[in-house]
Amino acid sequence: MATALPLRPSGNDSNSLQPTSSDSSSKTNGLPRLSPATSLLRRSPSGAHTAVHQRSVDHVAPNSRPRRHKSQYPLDSPERHVEYILVASFHIDRGPIMEHQYPAAISGDESMLAELMLPDQTHVRSQDWTIFFLHKDTSADEDEGSDSEKKKKKKRRPSMQGNEYAENGDEFDSSEDSAESSDDEDGGEGPPLMYVLNLVNTKQDNTVRRGAVVKAMAICTRHSFLHIYKPLLLLALEDYFKSPYPETLATLYHAVNAMDLSLMPKLSMLERQILQATDSKDMFIEKFEGIIQQRLAKGEEIGEPGSPVSPKRAAAGYILPRDTHEFESKVVYNDIPIPVKVPTVIWPETVGDFSLIKLIQTFSAPHSASPQPFLLHPHLTTNGAFTHPIIVLINAMLTQKRVIFLGHNRPSGEVAEAVLAACALASGGILRGFTRHAFPYTDLTKIDDLLKVPGFIAGVTNPTFANHPEWWDLLCDLPTGRIKISSRIEPAPVTEGLVYFQQQNSFIASGSSGSGSDPTGDHAFMDDIQRGITNRHGENAIRAKWREYIIKFTRVAAAFEEAVYGTSNLFVIGPGEELSPDSPSGLQADPLNPTTLRGHGYVWPDEGSKQRELIASVSRIEGWRNTRSYYGFIQDIASMYYPARPIKRPDLHHHHDRLKKLKLSHADSGAVYLAFAHSVKDYAGICQLLTVTPERNAGLFYLSMGLFHPDHTVRESTVDLLDRIASHPAGRHFWAQLGRFAKLAYFRLKRDRETAQSPVSASKAQASMPFGIHQSLVGVALGDGNVRKS
Amino acid sequence: MGGSVSKIMGKIFGTKEMRILMLGLDAAGKTTILYKLKLTNQDVTTIPTVGFNVESVTYKNVKFNVWDVGGQDKIRPLWRHYYSGTQGLIFVVDSSDTQRMDEARSELHKIINDREMKDALLLVFANKQDIQGHLSPEEVTNALQLTKLKDKLWYVAPSVATEGTGIFEGLAWLSNNVKTPPQK
Repeated sequence: MATALPLRPSGNDSNSLQPTSSDSSSKTNGLPRLSPATSLLRRSPSGAHTAVHQRSVDHVAPNSRPRRHKSQYPLDSPERHVEYILVASFHIDRGPIMEHQYPAAISGDESMLAELMLPDQTHVRSQDWTIFFLHKDTSADEDEGSDSEKKKKKKRRPSMQGNEYAENGDEFDSSEDSAESSDDEDGGEGPPLMYVLNLVNTKQDNTVRRGAVVKAMAICTRHSFLHIYKPLLLLALEDYFKSPYPETLATLYHAVNAMDLSLMPKLSMLERQILQATDSKDMFIEKFEGIIQQRLAKGEEIGEPGSPVSPKRAAAGYILPRDTHEFESKVVYNDIPIPVKVPTVIWPETVGDFSLIKLIQTFSAPHSASPQPFLLHPHLTTNGAFTHPIIVLINAMLTQKRVIFLGHNRPSGEVAEAVLAACALASGGILRGFTRHAFPYTDLTKIDDLLKVPGFIAGVTNPTFANHPEWWDLLCDLPTGRIKISSRIEPAPVTEGLVYFQQQNSFIASGSSGSGSDPTGDHAFMDDIQRGITNRHGENAIRAKWREYIIKFTRVAAAFEEAVYGTSNLFVIGPGEELSPDSPSGLQADPLNPTTLRGHGYVWPDEGSKQRELIASVSRIEGWRNTRSYYGFIQDIASMYYPARPIKRPDLHHHHDRLKKLKLSHADSGAVYLAFAHSVKDYAGICQLLTVTPERNAGLFYLSMGLFHPDHTVRESTVDLLDRIASHPAGRHFWAQLGRFAKLAYFRLKRDRETAQSPVSASKAQASMPFGIHQSLVGVALGDGNVRKS
Repeated sequence: MGGSVSKIMGKIFGTKEMRILMLGLDAAGKTTILYKLKLTNQDVTTIPTVGFNVESVTYKNVKFNVWDVGGQDKIRPLWRHYYSGTQGLIFVVDSSDTQRMDEARSELHKIINDREMKDALLLVFANKQDIQGHLSPEEVTNALQLTKLKDKLWYVAPSVATEGTGIFEGLAWLSNNVKTPPQK
């Protein structure tokens, strides 16, 4: 049934609206810049991330075979799941040494690698996990993918040189280079990171000198879901203790690379956003069905086993995932089938299987039990001395401070997890540049290199780091759950934006005044997060909330830039939109075209609250404006987020916010409903709309209020729009979630429409629905909006 | 903050706190000494230290925070990161390892010539006095050329770490000679 659904029925229609990439960049060129592109493009933060690029391009490009389902990890891909297997041991005379590497020696400093694989104090525990990243160059026999990537980079580079901010960019670049060279002697082009998952075992053994053997085995992969390999490493390292030969490494290498993920469909950027935001376990199940159908059809047509794995799979049958958020596969190691679950949606900066909940609880509990004042720093303590520690942490990450997670007497795996969680927290899956400068586990041997990296995030277990406040700006102590701002932190510079706001509002000196109020909304936000955790909403829900927090931060920053500088780097102005911040939102530029509705960006209930929030956020926004994640985001907007959006006008997010937050007049709300109905037509457009109406956050509720609008055409348009959404493969889930109240109204309008087909009953239908009722319904519904959020 | 409270308490009740760094070549017996101090009467078996150990030991009203850092050749360059704030250096020598005495001497002089260690007391454990062919404390003193040191308070204590012999005498010397309050 699902395969009968054309998945991108009108993908080609939307292409007519697509500006070409040069088109979109020309728009941003009116604004200050696409910044240090040279470095950022070259070093896209992760393998997952480059994939994001490709996918989004893929999505907007005219698709010659629109019904063809693509695999995220095609069988014929030259990319291997795992590139290297390493084994290191602690030699009692020589310290850490590398024992074996398979299939070849990984380039770079071998002893550095061996040190990383044998974390401090590994002698006091029998088992420990670590994660670290290598900035490794793609090797000579690398696939075409990286070649084309290089070409792309080369093509882009010249355009960056004309850039006003080139100087700034260069400066930035060189600092990055020094960072890179610390880990990678080759320097130069930055390929995706290589993620290393490492298991170390210490075995007491009286037969050997000094009584113990310490060995570590590591898997090097470009997939960020490296945690799936944990059970395999456990088995393989055990085997290696018994037979310490390269063959043991080879067995593991071939087993993991035979893993078949080819039935995992590729999703567009918007689809991934929808999937991540939903709890539905069968969202986009059609795609999984489709790719299986396709495989079956192909097998029949060709009538040959196609891939080497297929006979085995045919026996196993093709099973649809129980939850489309994960793809289930298996790795057969030494004839033992080990089930693995690979996440369908991988966001940039999301590496491994950390827990945001754990991170938040670690640092929230001591704070709520007995808050300790922070040293004040404008970038960090945005709510004064008693700012929530997690907010201090996120501010530090956003403003590119040096952050250390210290876990004395904790397994190094635990500090690594905290680092990865912090990266995901600050990224929200949107901002990047964190994991690339993260050192999930590091030790004193790397301190000199670490200190060359501006704004690192590092995990350590050695408490001597606490004695060196000159090494860090923020120290997050895991055992005590306390965060400390360094006494040696660099003071925040006075910036243009700060001066602007101080002049405008001389009465408020900083966000710290009036600790009772919560101008940034961070207190309320953290309370909400805490509630979510207490009510067991789960990791996914908490991640979604953080994602929204980061989206909001970028939108507030865009509004800030428009207020201070007149334009913003953080927003691509849609066609026909005016830049001026005081152009009335909701005005229709072309009276005959409802989609020319003006307005963009974040929506505040009133000007006063906007001013308050901006003033409170000045410092951290200004602190952010000179960081890697800021420049990277500008880049991503131009090359990824904006092009992935089929509907450039009106700003769906903005106008949906207006429906949500403002008490609009009937004329204004009517204009929004009409604009939505006229612009949201095709598959991708509906996807885009669904990304701004997450089910957790009222879903289609505000849209459905159009059913109660006094104007007949608005009601009719809303019915049409909901019709389209309900028959959309993702939209149908949203429709199913919609409340009965709205659905009843929808069916009544549908009935009326049917009866209206016959002219006799038309007048009757009209008469049976006096305007007064509708008006009151609108009032009730809008007023109740906040309560209804679930 | 907690630290400053305990410092005040220390002033009132006369307990001192002392940061000790314990170094030496690999397999000299550093970790054994540390855990003998910590677990007085128990048998201690150790394996090579990967990185470091840190424990606090209270003896004669002095709280010793003892850092024991791994001694393998390759990880010795890391020792310097532990210097700042150190009030006492315990240098452990395997008295029976006559072949590496020169190596021990050169490592020791490197440490105590560092600016950050200039005020630190130096306690040398001439360890493994129970093994045949060991050097006496005097011979160790000469081999390490301690008499050459100027402006340095030092002491060589003979010890058998595995039996716990001599190690508390060494600590007593440290606690009697520490003068400056802990520096942060």
